[in-house]
Formats: sequence, structure tokens, C-alpha cells
Amino acid sequence: MDRRKFLQLMGLVSGTTLLSSCGSERNQKELISYLVPPEDGVRPGTAAWRVSTCSECPAHCGITVRLREGRAVKLEGNPDHPVSQGALCMRGQAALWRLYHPQRLRTPLLRTGNGYRPIGWDEAMKRIAEAMTASAEKSRTNMLLTGSTSGSLAALQERFADTCRIDRLPEFEFFNHAALRQAYQLLYGRPRLPRFGIEDADLLVTVGADLLETFISPVGYAHQLSVARREKGLQWSHIEPHLSLTGANADRRLTIRPGSEATLLLWLLQTLAKRRRYARRLPQQILDALPKISLARAMDNSGLPGSSLTELARSLEKARHPLLITGGVATAQLAGGQVALLGCLLQWVLTVPWQGLDFDRAENFGRAGDLRDLQQLNLSLQNDEVGVLIISRTDPVRHSPQKWRLDENLRRARLSIAMTDLHTATSRTTDLILPLTQNFERWDDVEPRIGIHSLIQPAMAPLHNTRSEGDILLELQQRLTGRSEAATYEKYLQQRWKKLFSASQLRAFINKGFVTKGSPRTTISLRTKPTVAALRRIAPSEPLPAPATVITGSIRSFDGRSAVLPLLGEIPDPLTTVTHGNWVTLSPRLASQYGVKDGEELRLTKTDFAVAQPARLQPGLPDGIFGLPIDSLTSGPPGIDPATGEALRVIGGIKAHPTGKHFALPILSGSPSQKGRGIIPKPIHRKGKHHAEHRSLYPEPAYRQYRWAMAIDLKRCIGCAACVASCYVENSVPVVGREEHLKGREMSWLRIEPFYDDQGRASFIPMLCQHCDYAPCEPVCPVYAAYHNPEGLNVQVYNRCVGTRYCSNNCPYKVRRFNWWQHKWAPPLEKMHNPDLAPRSKGMMEKCTFCIQRIRTAHETAGKEDRLIRDGEVIPACAQSCPTDAITFGNLLDPQSAVARLIKTPRTYRVFEGLGTEPAVYYLRPD
Amino acid sequence: MNNDISAPQVETDVLTAMRRPGPAWLTGLGLAGLLFAGGLALWAYQIMHGMGVAGITHPVGWGVYITDFVFWVGIAHSGTLISAVLFIFRARFRTSFNRAAEAMTIFALMVAGLFPLIHLGRVWRFYYLFPYPNQRQLWVNFRSPLIWDVFAVSTYFLVSLVFFYVGLMPDLAIAARHRSGRAGKLYRILSLGWTGNLRQWRHYGRLYMFLAAFATPLVASVHSIVSWDFAVSIIPGWHTTIFAPYFVAGAIFSGTAMVLTLVIPMRRVLNLQEHIPIDHIEAIAKILLLTSLIVGFSYVIEHGMAFYGENLFEMEQFRFRALGHYSLLFWIMIMCNAVLPLLLFIRRLRRSLAFLFVLSLLVNVGMWLERFVIVVCSLARDFDPYNWGNYLPSPVECGITLGSFGLFFAAFLVFVKTLPVLSITELKER
Repeated sequence: MDRRKFLQLMGLVSGTTLLSSCGSERNQKELISYLVPPEDGVRPGTAAWRVSTCSECPAHCGITVRLREGRAVKLEGNPDHPVSQGALCMRGQAALWRLYHPQRLRTPLLRTGNGYRPIGWDEAMKRIAEAMTASAEKSRTNMLLTGSTSGSLAALQERFADTCRIDRLPEFEFFNHAALRQAYQLLYGRPRLPRFGIEDADLLVTVGADLLETFISPVGYAHQLSVARREKGLQWSHIEPHLSLTGANADRRLTIRPGSEATLLLWLLQTLAKRRRYARRLPQQILDALPKISLARAMDNSGLPGSSLTELARSLEKARHPLLITGGVATAQLAGGQVALLGCLLQWVLTVPWQGLDFDRAENFGRAGDLRDLQQLNLSLQNDEVGVLIISRTDPVRHSPQKWRLDENLRRARLSIAMTDLHTATSRTTDLILPLTQNFERWDDVEPRIGIHSLIQPAMAPLHNTRSEGDILLELQQRLTGRSEAATYEKYLQQRWKKLFSASQLRAFINKGFVTKGSPRTTISLRTKPTVAALRRIAPSEPLPAPATVITGSIRSFDGRSAVLPLLGEIPDPLTTVTHGNWVTLSPRLASQYGVKDGEELRLTKTDFAVAQPARLQPGLPDGIFGLPIDSLTSGPPGIDPATGEALRVIGGIKAHPTGKHFALPILSGSPSQKGRGIIPKPIHRKGKHHAEHRSLYPEPAYRQYRWAMAIDLKRCIGCAACVASCYVENSVPVVGREEHLKGREMSWLRIEPFYDDQGRASFIPMLCQHCDYAPCEPVCPVYAAYHNPEGLNVQVYNRCVGTRYCSNNCPYKVRRFNWWQHKWAPPLEKMHNPDLAPRSKGMMEKCTFCIQRIRTAHETAGKEDRLIRDGEVIPACAQSCPTDAITFGNLLDPQSAVARLIKTPRTYRVFEGLGTEPAVYYLRPD
Repeated sequence: MNNDISAPQVETDVLTAMRRPGPAWLTGLGLAGLLFAGGLALWAYQIMHGMGVAGITHPVGWGVYITDFVFWVGIAHSGTLISAVLFIFRARFRTSFNRAAEAMTIFALMVAGLFPLIHLGRVWRFYYLFPYPNQRQLWVNFRSPLIWDVFAVSTYFLVSLVFFYVGLMPDLAIAARHRSGRAGKLYRILSLGWTGNLRQWRHYGRLYMFLAAFATPLVASVHSIVSWDFAVSIIPGWHTTIFAPYFVAGAIFSGTAMVLTLVIPMRRVLNLQEHIPIDHIEAIAKILLLTSLIVGFSYVIEHGMAFYGENLFEMEQFRFRALGHYSLLFWIMIMCNAVLPLLLFIRRLRRSLAFLFVLSLLVNVGMWLERFVIVVCSLARDFDPYNWGNYLPSPVECGITLGSFGLFFAAFLVFVKTLPVLSITELKER
């Protein structure tokens, strides 16, 4: 190229560049004009919110789904929702992992020998329809077995069953609360689980009911409990043979011998009945029918001292609004029916007078069956009576006793079909698998409580070639009968909603996510005759022989169904802090008796029940108890209670012996005790001054408009780790798996630390970046990657970080996380990433940012409106999810802000105050 | 002393040592080179996959790499001590060691300088650690002891290199005279036109004295600053004022031990027994004894302060060191650094080359363990008991550590055959 040519070209290039950058103001407003106009709700860079309902468990909490670029990236609690009041548990948070799970079933699968063959929907439907017709001819019964179903889908199922002559079996849930439902049926003729008015109670006594973990509606209960403690000064006693998260959070935990609940309740009932005002509530026949029991017997049976018993009775008498709830493991044992009956009778005496039970807002367990129904199905299968068996959203194989051999018997059906989104033990045995759409990909509604209709609306188009259960049933109906209720399930829903709601209700339904249809409260009355008959059958039983095993539901996996979500494996069990894996807990004393340490395998056996799991020492667990989380049950429950149909979850006379094998258990806690360091202080900790006041050569930080701070009320914190899960999803924190956890390389920005005192009482503290005024991490960073921003945030600049890890070493709270690897997200999990965040690559430090992306968004809004950010406008992900409102976030410089007011209370302290770090996270001590 | 050796004898003896590498030398170099290559390969592997391949974890964010760094910086210490400090004090026995010690300093610093890079999560961004002008107006944080490190170590390296080179110049001229061909030319160029006239000697003497005076404070400063990497933090076990003198003494202790490790075999292999008399070795052994006493005293002080301080964190930390997960390493360290060197009080042992050689190896082991105990134990048990956790070095870390020894010994072997290992001119003076 010669000089002339070069100049010519340069002239051309610069000229065109100059020209193209000229233009009017008007044209420059939109930097990128839309080639294709955006679909509804999809505007690049902005988030949209959709109300919906969570379906991880039958509680059905209300959620809002955050959408970015047309995909769901975060779930939050729907603040107005009557079930959950804006909270969402860790399982709910992890529901997105179900949506984006790499192993989600993507197309119908047909079993061929040991493998599967993907087939089209048409072929699948044809096969089912043919098999159904053929079975009907061969006098085999077609059956439909589903998990808990309510709302329109339940209505459709009923129509489908009627028109297609398919036997709709009682719904199967492992936590079916059958004993309770039967007790309510017996006492009041209402086979339902009432709504408990916990928020109005001033005394709560729970017997076995794990309110905070798996009992009916844990998030709602946690919220109610928190409100009652705050507003009604609720005192809460929990009675159980083992140690649960619920027990750890009660004001008093009474440890009784397993199997002695009935005796205890009987004694309470009898003692209360001596008072006229209680005796008046019970007809004379019932009083006569009550078996007599002495205090000595009650003491002896329950293992509780007489003082505890009388104190319990006295507190019940004194309380104005006492509430007693039995359930959980107390009713899932051989005497479970009695426990439920006596507990409900006590409720009649104590709670019904002040209307603490509401059967008109009953939990919707209307069509739930129990394990006896499953046993019946198993028999039918064995007798070759079953034609087509459709199993939807439930896992009977996992939850039936192994000796039933349900998995083998399923093969005897003419055609067994599993409808599910991820493989389950059941789907691995069926002939055909139909992949279901996820909650976030379809229209639907549920009715978690009578009269509460909750909306499920799609946030995005289905990711895979999946269909909703409604569509499948409609198409089957079409094929079998020649006509269907509606062309599609969406149309069906529209028809039904039009019938169900008025126009204004429908609008509210779509916008708010739920409609409450009031019905007048009806009174319940005690049915004397059956009650007397049942009471006569009661024989006060002896407690179970020690040692006993208690099979506990899991806050992380419910009945095991959520264990498949990797995020939940990553979050430690609140009490044991074990992540990935299974274990059996036992008290340190029992462990030394058996000579086992953490991780050493213990084999528990009893006649035809055997399980071997690594041991985990659990302070606070009574001696003589083996705590077995339900995930650790490799093969169904040990048996069922024939009287109630509940699985046996407490069994005595267990033989245990160490196998000598050792498993590496990822235990995240380095010590169960806080070693007197005052992390969660008792009052005495406040007395001693640690160090001289803070002096520095550097100028004091001066904040002008904002100083972000957080107050965490440890009295309210229940250690449920909903905040942890929320943080994981909001901040796209990598899930690293078991191997990394064994090395101590978990990535959680926020964690719950349980600490046990000498008596085995647990307290919990959420630990996150403290955003210190004098952060030890900041001066040691050689490149200013850790720096203090003008709003008081301790900011980590990812791009600047070179990875010396000095900041982490120097952090007394150890809340910084290093990216040991380039973390991989198996597709389509990467779709869940929060686009508001900078991605992190290997070799960088990361940590809690106080959800700086949310602060930034608030700044944008406030800046446009030319005002300061309002109190409550920024809610970090952790605070949003908290069921007990333990976390308050806001601006410390605004004296009116909630957080500024909270930290003025005398309960306020900061962790390791003596170090002079001046954290911005204030804790309110639990006493 | 060995004043009876004639000047030409010195020249030929020292220069003979540089001739014709034998099979032993070649094998040694090959082995060291192999180790170094292995270490490099492992480092590449680590860069490719991430720091996860190392054993470091949460809460122990520093492990073997930082241990190695402090260890090698410590080794680098006695070079300056022997060359500069002893030069100023006119300690005559320094002549026997100064060249080898200075070379050792340079090589140890080269090795040490690698470890801060190796331990970086994003080593490809290492230049962020230097204050270079850039349009983003990013600057380094001068409050961070890691930045002080960058300056302290690089200053020390430059001064040591200059000092080494200046002292070498007259000898290079001598070597040039004895060598023909390309090697001779190279020595001639490197000697910067040294002819040995009086004016040159006068300038040389002044410069050497000045450099010695300049380098002396560095002996204290470098390792003080390295110790502040820890002391400036707030971690119990690190956050203590004793660290600077403690580390300096420890560094001289380990450095002198390394001098013995290198000189005792060198003396024998290169037939320099006459030029490195046993009296001089004994003098070095006395330094070893003195610094061992200081180090031992520091151990007692550390634990005593924790015991009397009644600081919960501090007490737990020192209880953990002595009785916890790493207690075996702790007691080996006590044995090697504080107990066994006490045997040097016995004159016979002080003059026994075999004993000194074994002891110097043990002291090297002990001093490596000391750094490991300080770095790892302190991090493993800090404030919040929930975070407590232990650390186990991974094969990658061990391999890279071995590789660093490979680099060090390879460099030293090359030095032995290319440069006069004793200062000819100074020996002549003697």
C-alpha cells in the first residue's frame, strides 16, 4: 500500500465514522432498537415478577418468581400469601434447581429391558390408551395414584376417573398425618387437619409435631410462632424422645422416653379434668371412660420428673390461650392412634374454647390416604388385578416397607406409568415414564387450605418436551372416550376459574396470586359415642425398650423428595452441620459406649429392619436414641402401624454395632461448642469490656447518606437455613459437591452456625460478611480488591483480585470464600444465574455483598425519582426468605429506619466486639 | 591460620575446582534439574486447573507455599550476614564462606520470589502487585504487608546481587586470565575491565565497604517485613510484636545451617580443605548455637505470653500447637531447633564435620516446620470455632516444594563450576 492509498482509506474510514456518529437526540435514545419487539415481560436488563405457588411440598407457600430475559432466576415469598406470609424455606428456594436440573426427564421414556427408549408423546399416549382399553376387557382395574393434589387438577382427576372408569386411589403422601385425621374424624366427624391458631396462642405445647421441619406447613408455622412470641409472649414447650430442630427452638424441651407420649397425655388429661372448667367440657361418659393413671406411673413411663409434669399441667391451666399439637413422630408409632386421640381430646378441652382450631380453613389433605391404602394396592398388584397403573408425583416404592416388594410387584401391572420430573425410585421400576412440566412452565392452581385458591402461572416456556399432568389426562380422556373436558388444560382452567371466581376475584387471583373465599366459621361438637368407644380401647402402654431409633423428617429433603436437588445437599443440616451424605446421630455418651466416632459406620438392626450409616455425634440428643434422618433410610420405613396406616418412625429394642468401616462425613462445623467465646452471648458476656477504644492513624470512615447495616434477632432465628438457600440462588453461589466439602471448601456466603451448651441446648447464629467499619480484610489486600465503599459496604472487586487469600486469613469471621476452581454449571443450570451479578472465575475471593445488586437497583429507582432510598426498599435475599423476620436490613444513618431503631435495644451486641472491627451486622442476643 | 599457603596455590586450587565437571556433578545437576522441571510442570497444572489442586482450604488459606517462601527467604539471610556484617566486623573466617553464602542468597531469593507467585490464585495478574502507572488509575495498597514484601524482597535481591557481583569482579579477571577462548572472553567482559591497578583497588575497597554498610540493615529489615506479613494480621498466633526479632534470628539460624549443608560437602568434593579450615567452620557453628538459643527463647516467650495473657484465642492457639492436630510437627520442630543445637556447647561436636552436617540438615527441617506450624496452626484455629479445620498438603504442593529445592541445588551446582567458589583475592590477602 502506498502513502496515497493509505491516506485515502484513512479519510474514508474516519469520514464514515464521523458521519455515522452524527444524529439527532431522538435517535440516540434507544441505543439498540428492537428488531423483533419484545414479548410481554421480556425486556433485556429489567426484571419481571410473577406470582405463583411453590409445589415442593403439600404446604404450597406463595411465591413470586423473578424473571430475567425470559427465564426464572429467583424465587421469593409472596408477602401477602396467607400460607407463608412472604417467607420461603430452603426447599422452596431450591425449587429452581428442579426446574433447571440437568437430569430432568426431557421426553417420554419406554423401558426396554434394562434401558430406556425415548418415544414420542403420541406413541406414549397410544400405548396407555390401548393398555387401558385392553385391561378393562380383561377385568383388570386401571388405577390412578397421585401425590397430594388439590384445586383444578383434583377436579379434573375426578372427572377423568369417572369418565374413563379408572380407579382413583387415595392420594399418597409419606407424611400423611393419618393418625391425626382419624382422630379428628372420630372426635368431630371431620377427617381434616385444622388450621392451628398459633399466632393467637400464649402457650404452645407440641408433642412430637416438628412444626419447623416437616409438619404440614412449616414455613407458615414458623411465621405464626414468631408473631406469637413477639406479640403474645408465647411460651413453647416441646415434648419428644429425640432432638429435632423444632425441639431445639422451643423455650423448653422435655425429653421423654420413646413411646410414652400416650401415658403423658393421658395423665395431663386426667389432671386437667379434675378442674371444673375443664371437666365441664367433657361429657361424663368420656370422663368415666378415661383410663386412670397415677403420677408415679406417668413419671416412670415418660422418664420425666414429677415437677416437670405438674409444672406442665399448671402452665396449661394458667394459660389463657393454650394450644396443644400432637403429630410427627409421636403419632407415627405403634401407639400413634392413642397419642393422636388423646392429643386431640386435650385440644378440645384446652384450645377449642378459644377457637384455636379452624376446620373451615383446614389444611387440604382431603383425599390423602395412608400406607394401608398402599398395602391394598400392593395386594391387588400381587393378585394381578391391576391393569394400567398411573403413578403421578409420588414415590410409593421409596416409602413402602421393603418386605412388601412393591418395586417387583409393580411389574405385575399390565402397564405401570410414572409421571414425574426427575427420576424417583418408583419411576425406575415402571414401564413408562412421562416427564411432567415444572411449576414454572405451566398454568395451574392449588388449594392448600380450604377456601384458599393459589395460582400457579408459567414464568417461561417449557425447557423440554414435557407436558402437564392436566394435559396428559385430557388427552387420555379424549383418546378413551372420544371427548374431553377441554382441548387443553389451560382452557380447562379458564373455564373452571370463570365458574369459580367473580371478575374481580379473577383479577386478584392473577395479580396477587391467590383468592381467599370466605365461608362462615362452623362450630364443631364432640361426638361422644365413638369417642367413648375409642377411649375404652386405650391401654396405657409401656415405653419402648431402649435403645430406640427415631426416623426424622428432614428440613432439607422433606420426606426425601428434595434430596435430589444438589443445592440442598450443599446446605448443612442445621443440627449436625453434615452436608452431602447420610448418617445416624447418637449422643456423645452413647457413642463412647459403642466406641464410635464421627463417620464410623454403625449398623442398626431389629428383626427384619437393618440399616448401616456412619455415626454423627449429636450433643443434646438423649442417650439411648439413634436419630435416623429419613434420607438415611435406604429401604423404606421399617413397618406400618396397622391401626392408623402411618409408617413406624419410632422403634425400640434396636441392636447396634459398629461395622468398623469409616466414611468421610462432610461436617462443616469445626466445633459444637463456642468455647466460651461469646459468639452468641449469654448476659454475662456483656459485662466484661474487651479492649481499649478504637484508635487509628487513618481517618475515620465518614458516610454521607447511607451506612448499610443489618440487625439479626437471634431470639427469632430458628436455624432453618432458608436464608442460606436464598443467598445461594440470588448470588449464583457455586455448588461444589461432597469432595470439596470434605476439604472444607464450601462456598456459602451465609451460613447458620449451631452452638451447643453443656446441657445440649442449641442456639443458632447466621454468619455472613459483617461489613466492618474497620474490616481486617481491607488493609491486607495488596491491590485494593477488598475496599470500603462510601456506603459502608465492604466491597470485593472481583476483577482486581489476584487471589492472595490474605483477606480470608485475616477475617475473624471467616466469611470469605475462595474460588478454588473454575466452577462448572451443568446445562441448563447456567440459565439460573443472576445476570445482575459479576461472574467469578477461578482464583478469586468472593463473599456476601449485602446483595449490592439490589442496593444498586434501588439507587437507580431512587435516583430517577430524585429521592433517597426508603427504609425497606432494599431487602437482601436472606431477609426476604426468613420465615420469622429475624433479619432487618437498612440504612443506619436514617434514625427512623427499622435497623437503626433495632440496634438501640439493650439486647444488641456484635460478634468479637473486642477486636475493634466495628461490624455493621448487629445481633440481638437470644435471652 | 593457613597463612602458609602461597598465593599462586590459592589461585590454582580455587580455579581447579571450576574445571571439568565429573559424573557426580552431572548426575547431581540432572537430578536437580529433573526435580525443577517436575515442579514447573505441577505449577502449570495448578495454573490450568485452579488452586483447588493444592491442599489449602478454608480456613487455612496459606499452606506449604507460604511456608516455602518464608523458608527460602530465611535461607537467603546468612549470605548478607556472612558477607556484609562479618566484613564490617572484620571477622576473618568469613572469607571461607562469603562467596558460597552470597551465591546461596541469590539462589534462595530467586526461589523464594517464585512462591508468592505460585500461591496467587490468579498468577496471570501478578503485575497488579506492582505500582505501575495505568490509565485505570489503579494503585497498590501500601498498607498491605504483602506490598511491603514485594519491595523488601526485591530490594534485598538487588543489593545482594550487586554485592555478589562487585565482590566477584577481581576474581572474574583472574579467571579470565586462566581461561582461553569464549569462556575467557566472557569472564573478561564480566570483570568490567578489571586490571587490578591501585586506583581500581582503592575504588573497589570503598565501594565494597559502602555496599556492606548498605546491606547490613537489610539483614534486619527483610525478615522483619516478612514477619509482618503475619504480625500485622489479627490472627492469634500471628499477631504478636515478637515476630520481627524472632524471625530474623530464625532466618539467620536457618541460613547458617544451609551454609553448612552446602559448604561441608563442597569443601570435600572440591578439595578445598586447606582454604576452609575447621576453625572457621566452628565459628559458623557458634553462630548457629547463638541463634538457636534466641529461637528457643522465642518459643518460650510465645507460649509464656499466651499462658499469662489469658487471651482465650491466644491460649487455645498455643494449646493447639503443642497438643493438637499438628503436635507431632511442633515437637519435631522444638527438637531440631531448640534442643539438638544445644549439643554445640560441646567443642568436640562443634568441630565434627559429620555431626555439623547432620545437624544442619535437621535444623533446615526444623526451621521449615517452624514456618509450617506458624502459618498453618494459626489459621486452623482462629476466632470462630465453627470454622476450625485442618489442612493437609496435596501432592502438587509437595512436588512444587521439591521442585524449588531442585532449582536451588541446580543453580548452586552451576555456580560451583562456573564461578570461583572462594574469594581468591581475599584468600590471597589473608
